Amino acid sequence: MRKLPRRDKLKIYGDLLYFLHTESKKEKVVLTHVQLKTNVPFDRLKHYIDELKELGLILDEPSLKLTDKGKQYLREYETVLDFMKRMGLIYE
Amino acid sequence: MENVALILMEVVSAILCFVLLRFMIEPYHTTGEGRYLGLPLGFGFLGVSYIFMGLSLYFESLLFVEDLKWLQLFTQAYAFAFLAATYYFSKKPPERTRLWWNITYAGLLFAAVVSYLVVFEQPMFGLPSYKTVDEYFRLFNIVCLAYISIHTLRSHVSQPDPKTIWIPLSYLLLGFSQYSSLIWSLDSSFAAFVGAHLLRIAGLLVFLVVVYQSFFGLRHAIPKEGIRDEEAPT
Repeated sequence: MRKLPRRDKLKIYGDLLYFLHTESKKEKVVLTHVQLKTNVPFDRLKHYIDELKELGLILDEPSLKLTDKGKQYLREYETVLDFMKRMGLIYE
Repeated sequence: MENVALILMEVVSAILCFVLLRFMIEPYHTTGEGRYLGLPLGFGFLGVSYIFMGLSLYFESLLFVEDLKWLQLFTQAYAFAFLAATYYFSKKPPERTRLWWNITYAGLLFAAVVSYLVVFEQPMFGLPSYKTVDEYFRLFNIVCLAYISIHTLRSHVSQPDPKTIWIPLSYLLLGFSQYSSLIWSLDSSFAAFVGAHLLRIAGLLVFLVVVYQSFFGLRHAIPKEGIRDEEAPT
């Protein structure tokens, strides 16, 4: 079985924010669903969500969603990842 | 007149490199990983090497012109070495190679400082002829650029995408530019001399197009305008 590459915190944040963005139309975001999609253990997921809230990137009222700062961060992150892909640089 | 055109070519190349440098720093800025530092360092050194060449053409009758040419030679070689090191380390797992990329970049910077000192404080036995060293350095540059071209081309072939073909092309253009310079150095062919300059400018312009498409032309999952009123993907 092929071993998945280890993700650093930045990549996990990126995946988490992207998933929350895609789910932003839903009334309630279920944490178990987030956990399955982002492939992070539940205890660490809660820790990451707390960190993202402290950084002002997400809100938890009434449900998990991105703040304007979170959207700005995700946009810049996505731009740089696209640039790195175009440059032939591997980031995993 | 011919000199003015050449100086202009060097100035344009240097400006293009410094514009690219502004964007090449972004992978390091965003990921915080030192292995991507070679990219801005490489383009920075490349820009400085074109400035040295431009200055040596502008002050062609002064005593320190030879020094400027040597500086250009060293700086350009370090630029390509930094770029090649970045691509080499980008495919390695960061947790295992962190120490190695730190040693490599520090070693290259140290070597750069030592070689600059050698130019200004020459050893008693003197330096070999500029022309001979120039040819060896061109060969070194071609090897570095060939390695990067193959790396980026393989990355494109493994995940074919029309937008990833431009960077191997731009590195190939820079490589052919070095090859043309080598040919010019060997047989003084005018076509090779002009070709080297044109290929270099073309290569840098392709980089600029890629940077423009990435930072200003990309269709994001989140559009740039109307953050508050945007429609999220369904």
